[in-house]
Amino acid sequence: MMIGALVMLVPVVWMFSTSLKPESAVLDANPKWIPNPITLEHFYRLFTQAQDFPVLRWLANSVFVACSVTLLVLIVTSTAAYAFSRLKFPGRDVLFMVVIATMMIPGQVNLIPVFLIVQKLGWFNSYFGLIVPCIAGAFGVFLLRQFFLSVPVELEEAAFVDGAGLFTIYWRVVLPLAKPALATLAIFTFIGAWNDFVWPMIVTSDISMRTLPVGVMIFQGRYVTEYGATMATAAICSVPTIIAFMIFQKRITEGIAMTGIKG
Amino acid sequence: MRPSRRTYLLIWITICLAAVCGCGPRKTPARSKVVTLQFWNGFSGPDGTTMERIVRRFNSEHPDIKVRMQIIPWGTYYDKVTLGLAYGGAPDVFVLHCDALPRYADSSSLSGLDDLVAKGGLSEGDFMPRPWQACHWKGKQYAIPLDCHPQGLYYNVDLFKKAGIVDEHGNARPPANLKEFLADAKKLTVDTNGDGTPDQWGFVFTWLRTNYVTVLSQYGGSLLSKDSRESTLNTPQARAALDLMTDFVGKYKIAPRPEGQDAWIGFQTGKVAMALEGIYMLSSLEQQKNLHFAGAPCPMFGKQRGAWANSHFLVMPAKLSAEKRRAGWTFIKYLSDNSLEWAKGGQVPVRKSILASPAFRQLPVQYEFSKQLPYVQYVPASISINQVLPFADAAVEAALCGIKAADEALAEADRRTREVLARE
Amino acid sequence: MKSRNQTLAAAFFLLPYATVFLVFVLAPVVYGFYISLHKWYILAPRPEFIGLRNYRMVLGDDLFRLAMLRTAFFVVMVVPAGNALSLLLAVGLNQNFRGTAFYKVAYYLPVVMSVSVVAILWRWLYSTEFGLLNHYLGQASGAMHHVLPKVFPASWKTEWLNNPRTAMPAIALLSVWWGAGGNMLIYLAGLKNIPRQLLEAAEIDGASPIKRFWAVTWPLLRPTTLFCVVMSVISSSQVFGQTYILTGGGPYYSTLTVILYMYQQGFGQYQLGYAAAVGYLLFAAVLVFTLIQFRLLRVKQ
Repeated sequence: MMIGALVMLVPVVWMFSTSLKPESAVLDANPKWIPNPITLEHFYRLFTQAQDFPVLRWLANSVFVACSVTLLVLIVTSTAAYAFSRLKFPGRDVLFMVVIATMMIPGQVNLIPVFLIVQKLGWFNSYFGLIVPCIAGAFGVFLLRQFFLSVPVELEEAAFVDGAGLFTIYWRVVLPLAKPALATLAIFTFIGAWNDFVWPMIVTSDISMRTLPVGVMIFQGRYVTEYGATMATAAICSVPTIIAFMIFQKRITEGIAMTGIKG
Repeated sequence: MRPSRRTYLLIWITICLAAVCGCGPRKTPARSKVVTLQFWNGFSGPDGTTMERIVRRFNSEHPDIKVRMQIIPWGTYYDKVTLGLAYGGAPDVFVLHCDALPRYADSSSLSGLDDLVAKGGLSEGDFMPRPWQACHWKGKQYAIPLDCHPQGLYYNVDLFKKAGIVDEHGNARPPANLKEFLADAKKLTVDTNGDGTPDQWGFVFTWLRTNYVTVLSQYGGSLLSKDSRESTLNTPQARAALDLMTDFVGKYKIAPRPEGQDAWIGFQTGKVAMALEGIYMLSSLEQQKNLHFAGAPCPMFGKQRGAWANSHFLVMPAKLSAEKRRAGWTFIKYLSDNSLEWAKGGQVPVRKSILASPAFRQLPVQYEFSKQLPYVQYVPASISINQVLPFADAAVEAALCGIKAADEALAEADRRTREVLARE
Repeated sequence: MKSRNQTLAAAFFLLPYATVFLVFVLAPVVYGFYISLHKWYILAPRPEFIGLRNYRMVLGDDLFRLAMLRTAFFVVMVVPAGNALSLLLAVGLNQNFRGTAFYKVAYYLPVVMSVSVVAILWRWLYSTEFGLLNHYLGQASGAMHHVLPKVFPASWKTEWLNNPRTAMPAIALLSVWWGAGGNMLIYLAGLKNIPRQLLEAAEIDGASPIKRFWAVTWPLLRPTTLFCVVMSVISSSQVFGQTYILTGGGPYYSTLTVILYMYQQGFGQYQLGYAAAVGYLLFAAVLVFTLIQFRLLRVKQ
């Protein structure tokens, strides 16, 4: 058990350790775990070296894109999941199966056609291109539908009797009850959107439109051997998701448990 | 309740439509008396500074044309150019390497220049034939060559003198053929501390691709057939050229295995006596203190003279307004006329008049390298050359590092090249 | 009346999702196939319809076949080892003891890091001169060197990512490290679903922990295992980020995976039709393989 934890954590700790070491101490044939002295010179350099590697801009892009995707996913999939779980309409189950089936498609296969579609829409190198194609995941619909199905129908029927329209029921009754599931979906979506590498790389060519994961790669491509600085970029890219994970880890385990049970 | 639902729907549809329509590519600004030209190139470092200077002078001398230069590092340059040509946002004048011309010309992305050349200002007679010819694709001309950057021999003058390889005036004498080269390199490969590994090498392989093309051309071979329709990687010439290079490492032991390390640093720090590299490496040497070097044409390893070269071509996109095309042509002519200035940054001009000028002879290394212009060898003109070159690279590297036998490596590269050519 | 209301309402609720889903998930599947039936260089004035010729050329493409082999190799290295590790960790976590939360966080941490971060981190770990891996291997080997000098060298200087023989295993190792936490949580959920009574009954019957695992836990875990293995195969067959960032397919095409090849053809050479065909062939292969897996792992009920 301990060995497992060690194996998993050791590289991550090493990354942070390296990022805090002065450059001269980084390339050491006898690696030391605790940086001595601890220095923020790499981080300082990253944030001030803006011409070819706009780290601050990448950070801002990542924040904007990840938050937007998360927000849009919550809105868009919750309404869809509500329709699939509560409303009766022709072809409902077939359509739902289609959505679930797409979870099995290797996502990379869609890269080229989506790229061409985005070009046709004029969304290349734009925030629209970074955000919109990423919000139609099937996972969210699946998760939320599961949850909505478990909400007692009586609550909704009571509201309906009181004269509430469907949208009001959705907004005022079902959604607040679904807070745990929404939180789970939010955290998954956020982490996924933040860490996305391939799509942001393909849909942007302007260096100022790229997100952190792509920036990390670009930076190390030029400064391969400057491990202090490259580890610092890696650290900046990981800290938000690590923190988010630590705060919401219960949500994540529950969320995965729900997928696993169905599978 | 019903009206508000419909309102929601309408609002939603409006938002979606607005989002889709509002994000098309930006429209170009309205016309004014000054024609603005977007000029793209990949010239970073000293090259870029030199070009900036030339552009600034052009702008001041031509009040009716404003050239806006954008430098995009070569790594992402061609992606940006391709996407710009495909989806909008392409520059008005830009630079292409010689080997990139075929695929852009073949897809009708470039403006044919025959009519502009016929009008005058730049005549074929003043250009070196090979670069000029390389600007043509399927009988039409699409580019004007700005320069040529051939490969040549850089040699360390101090090491040569120390080893006694001098001419009658006491100046270092670079080798002219294989025999001299091997003899010199042997003298210059020295193991000072007796640990079995030389501390000073007579020769080192830098960019394998260009080294191989040079040797191959001297053996009368080429990567592809004359019409670029067939692979000639598995021919006796190809094998002989590769065998010679592997012999440098294995048999004659005058060069180390080209594994991993940046071999050029060895020459920069005076640990290597000779290297074959392009003229564009000149600025990286001029900055080295205590390095006394000189340039010479590539030694003749095979039965004929030959040297790898590439060129920067000036091109314009096919979809260009007549006004911008005229302005672009003026700019291109200006750049070509000022290619002496450009050469100072570490390039070789291709205008005969400039090559013959005394001012050019003042640039010693460029002048030496320019002697090869009559017989420089570009990589074959093919729309698939970008796929073929990595195959050749892999074969040469595998053979030189002892991973594969040269024959096997070339056969494999040959097979893959044939497949790519069949897909054209 | 009510159902007509509901259909209209459903349309309203579904519209946003459906739009994005249609345009960016469903349409691309069809459009991608359409692209693959054309000779489609991005700058060509008109793509040329050539039917299934791209597929024939891809199947005959030496590099494609090589990439399929490398990808298969990668899947074989990552899926069994990764799932076994995940299961092991889940079993360990299932035993209620203090601090499970800490271990859960520790094991899952790599999963929340981006592929580019994981890749460059491991490039640093794999560094020949200064990487942790070579350092500790060197220390261990150096200690043994005194005992068995012929077998254990005094120092360890493997060039993990530069050597064609070790590059792919190195990438596989980091991929296992990266992904183990994900499946672990699923296995854990599956384990928690196993009725306590069955395990207790087996214990009363005198079965050892290992016997209990094989007789009770393992069969009941089958649906979870199937799910995890299938998803692992699907995702690992699409490996791209690690190979693109760390080796670019080299050295000597030893780490060329199919999606990397597709990317090189589509976004490097801009041969969109050909690249699309590469992608769809992989899709077909994975689909067939998934169906086989379903058959194999479902047969014994």
